[in-house]
Amino acid sequence: MNGTVERIVVALDATSENRVAIGAAARLAARWGVHLHGVFVEDDDLIRLAHLPFARVVTLGAGVEVFDLQQAERQMRVFAERARQELAASAKRQSVEWSFEIARAGGRLTASTGDFLVAGTTTRPVGRHFRVECRWWAIAEAGPSTRLLAHREGDPHGTVAAVLRGREASSERLLAAAIRLAEANEAGLTLIVPPSLAEAPGFKPWLDERLAGHAVETELELLPAPSGLHRRITELHCRLVAVEAGADEAHPDRLRELVATIACDVLVVG
Amino acid sequence: MAGRMPDGFNSGEALPPALLYRRCAPGELPFQLSSELADAPAMIGQERAAEAVAFALSMRHKGYNVFALGPAGTGRHSLVVELLRRRAETESTPSDWCYVNNFADAQRPRRLDLPAGQGAGLAAAMKHLIDELRVALPAAFERDEYRARREVIDQQAKSHSEEGFGGLQQRAEAKGIALIRTPMGLALAPKRDGKVMNPEDFEALPEEERTRIEHDLHEAQGELETVMRQVPQWEREHREALRALNRDTTGYAVGNLMRDVRTGYADLPDVLEYLDAVERDIKDNAEDFLPQAPPSPETAGGPPPSAAAQAAMEDMRYRRYQVNVIVDNGGRQANGEQGAPIIYEDNPTYQNLIGRVEHLARFGALITDFNLIQAGALHRANGGYLILDAERLIAGGYGWAGLKRALQSGEIRIESIEQALSLATTVSLQPEPIPLDVKIVLIGAPALYYLLSQHDEDFAELFKIAADFDDRVTRDGDATMLFARVIATQVRRLGLRAFERDAVARVIERASRLVEDSERLSTSIRAIVELLQEADQLAADAGKDVVGAADVQAAIDARNRRGDRIYRRMQEEIARRTIRIETDGEVVGQINGLSVMSLGALAFGNPTRITAQVRMGRGEVVDIEREVQLGGPLHSKGVLILTGFLGGRFGAGRPLSLHASLVFEQSYGGVDGDSASAAELFALLSALAEVPIRQCFAVTGSVDQHGVIQAIGGVNEKIEGFFDICRAAGLTGRQGVIIPASNVKHLMLRDDVVAAADAGQFRVIPMATIDQGFELLTGVPTATTDAKIAARLDEFAAKAAALMRAQSGAAP
Repeated sequence: MNGTVERIVVALDATSENRVAIGAAARLAARWGVHLHGVFVEDDDLIRLAHLPFARVVTLGAGVEVFDLQQAERQMRVFAERARQELAASAKRQSVEWSFEIARAGGRLTASTGDFLVAGTTTRPVGRHFRVECRWWAIAEAGPSTRLLAHREGDPHGTVAAVLRGREASSERLLAAAIRLAEANEAGLTLIVPPSLAEAPGFKPWLDERLAGHAVETELELLPAPSGLHRRITELHCRLVAVEAGADEAHPDRLRELVATIACDVLVVG
Repeated sequence: MAGRMPDGFNSGEALPPALLYRRCAPGELPFQLSSELADAPAMIGQERAAEAVAFALSMRHKGYNVFALGPAGTGRHSLVVELLRRRAETESTPSDWCYVNNFADAQRPRRLDLPAGQGAGLAAAMKHLIDELRVALPAAFERDEYRARREVIDQQAKSHSEEGFGGLQQRAEAKGIALIRTPMGLALAPKRDGKVMNPEDFEALPEEERTRIEHDLHEAQGELETVMRQVPQWEREHREALRALNRDTTGYAVGNLMRDVRTGYADLPDVLEYLDAVERDIKDNAEDFLPQAPPSPETAGGPPPSAAAQAAMEDMRYRRYQVNVIVDNGGRQANGEQGAPIIYEDNPTYQNLIGRVEHLARFGALITDFNLIQAGALHRANGGYLILDAERLIAGGYGWAGLKRALQSGEIRIESIEQALSLATTVSLQPEPIPLDVKIVLIGAPALYYLLSQHDEDFAELFKIAADFDDRVTRDGDATMLFARVIATQVRRLGLRAFERDAVARVIERASRLVEDSERLSTSIRAIVELLQEADQLAADAGKDVVGAADVQAAIDARNRRGDRIYRRMQEEIARRTIRIETDGEVVGQINGLSVMSLGALAFGNPTRITAQVRMGRGEVVDIEREVQLGGPLHSKGVLILTGFLGGRFGAGRPLSLHASLVFEQSYGGVDGDSASAAELFALLSALAEVPIRQCFAVTGSVDQHGVIQAIGGVNEKIEGFFDICRAAGLTGRQGVIIPASNVKHLMLRDDVVAAADAGQFRVIPMATIDQGFELLTGVPTATTDAKIAARLDEFAAKAAALMRAQSGAAP
């Protein structure tokens, strides 16, 4: 997120709670005044499953059913249309331009320069409580690109927190993104930095230089021990936590724990 | 041929001015201004009606409802209201009536009756309760102990899932099988490198491996089915556990608040029973009081609801706990209305009487509940009195049928017209009927009362009392003074200028003219009030502080002028000789008759030339009006009577071998009534006797077979109509109107007519018999004319006999 965002791309599929991702993406598109693009990805695993001769699906309503390619495609068409309608409704509410595409089986969700990717983190539950892992968690591992993993439904409240590890280019991008999001949401910004960075010579001027010209109320906190980070973020009641893609806290397992604990959105800045 | 009449005048002679108009003597009105007079105690001349109403009010038995019959404007409504008011003030204020939800069957709302004033109190208490619960229950559900217990329950449910699905997932993973979320459910598939295996890869596996995988898959799938079958049971257990927790949590908060509500209604078992039902329902539906979670992605489709829709849904959740106070007699008391209610429903349609169940448009559908039950007039009047206009009731959409049904059953059952007529098949509310205890007063015309009495079998049973209002009262000294007080009362009530004594006198005289009787006064308060208002306005326009007699007269004249266009047009055409009316000279077989035309509020006299022709014939008098179907039955009767008179006087010794025809010349409309029968007889006698009639006279009066003149209606208008024509032609002193002697007491003529009579320019002459009238008209003694008529008839008879002989001789 080191350049201008030209488009919000929201990743959608047949098993995720797409509404959360769509809502977050539409709000961002409205705040930044950019185009909203939905990509419904047909899941490779489902297609492969449907090709297997013994594929069966067990449902709550109808018991065991054969799951063949025809049925898989039909179901995905239905869910793709539902996702398209939800995207259209959100875009209309936020008054943003929108587009929609279906990435066929075998296709990839690709992001180009200027795209800001938004994805959900949870699948629809089975029996209220049981969820399998959302395929979009893989995005967090997929590469250095900037992505928002949307987890909270509705327009969240609270501060924007950013875990700033250094003054390298990736940290600078993280800081720029966090400032921008805080500014767009008229939220406060809490920067969590390691003590070594906070005490490093020239850090304060470096930080002030980057905050200059932005109307963001900023607080600086020292990064606690790894076991204390989640607790501190919970206490901050964050709306969003921004982390660097290569940092420990961006590890998918940490992120899963974070989301499970505080249920906030996570911005991974590559 | 004058005759002394008992009323102090001589028939056959011109009446003195004093008998043409009865003035209100100053001595009868001992005051200067109306403001000096006290209010009139009640309506005048309605003692009979007042007694009937009072009797009905004292009878609490079923069916003693009242029909107040009488002409419009006679103060029926005012008197009834006044009598009801006096009675109602002494009676207790009836109950408040409410409808509440029936928690056992929402289609059948329950009624509650509470002492006056407590209905609104209960409604407020319930609203307060719900407001409190909306705060208290979420607070109770926010407490740590609740959240902890809830977490335990949720955790139990979650652990079921984890044990079931999670265990399965782990066992499957260990065998290289992935648990996959599909759009509709869960599936199991063999994995390779973290992804579902391709069919090609699977086929490439050794047979033994494929068999193993399929076996493992089959086994895991069986396990998955078992787990999935348990899911509904887990969910049910979770719901029940949550409900039990919610009930426990709610119970304490609700119990305390309900205790406060019950305190005020300890002696009202129905209310306590209702409150018990409320408490049970709240405990069973505690989640309604908790903040509602946004719609889940599973269930939501399309855009989220608007704020208005959310507010509407919020409102719907608590509507069943509201109290619909349909009759708030406590509110009446607060407004200073004491005692039993007196309700006047001016649009007595079925629903306005019986009440209605209204509907609301919500989310594209029409919905209803007990909160939308609206009271009818019967509800509001229950325990008191209801006044209705009978004609509107009969004409207004099933109102009469609904009222009768309610009175007969003794209860108010709210149904739509469609339900009442069994035309509706849709499900609607069936509110519990409310017992009815009301006294109905119908106000209507006499004709309607007699029609209902004759044609409606239920009417006599339900309306046992008739309060018969008179349209006139005898004009004596007491009545005159009382009438003056009525005028003063109305002047004060209407906020008008005070009326001078002469003005009051003029109004009283007008009241006599309104009933066409110098010895009676009209009880039509409406007409009097209109005159008072119009006179007051004219006085105001003239900048006067008080209203004088001239203002009253100007108001009367102005009113006449506003409506006399047709009358003036006819007068003009007579003056221009388009319509021929002679006011001078003598003509055989022709006389000026008089009729009355009523156009709107104005009635005026209309002179008509009546002519007769005679010839030899077979003894018939032909009424040309009847022959062309312009004559009504009463007119035809009059003509037949005069035929009888001719036969009686002249046919005893000879055959009446004449043919006579009578016609109203230049009359192009219908003619009815017998008031021209004397004039027609005069024209016929003139034609028979060949004696001319003086055209300076006009005649009105009916006649019997003995030649006695009888009273007719509209005598004042008739005289004034002929007077206006004579004045236009020039008053000669010979002109006048001959009227029945029995009509003299009805004379209340215009000032200009009286003045002309006083100056000897115009005459009003009463007659008692045909002979007296004919002598006045011809100046020839009766014996002479009778002899001439007899000779003429003999001549006809002789000619007829000769003709018959000739005809019989000519026959073969």
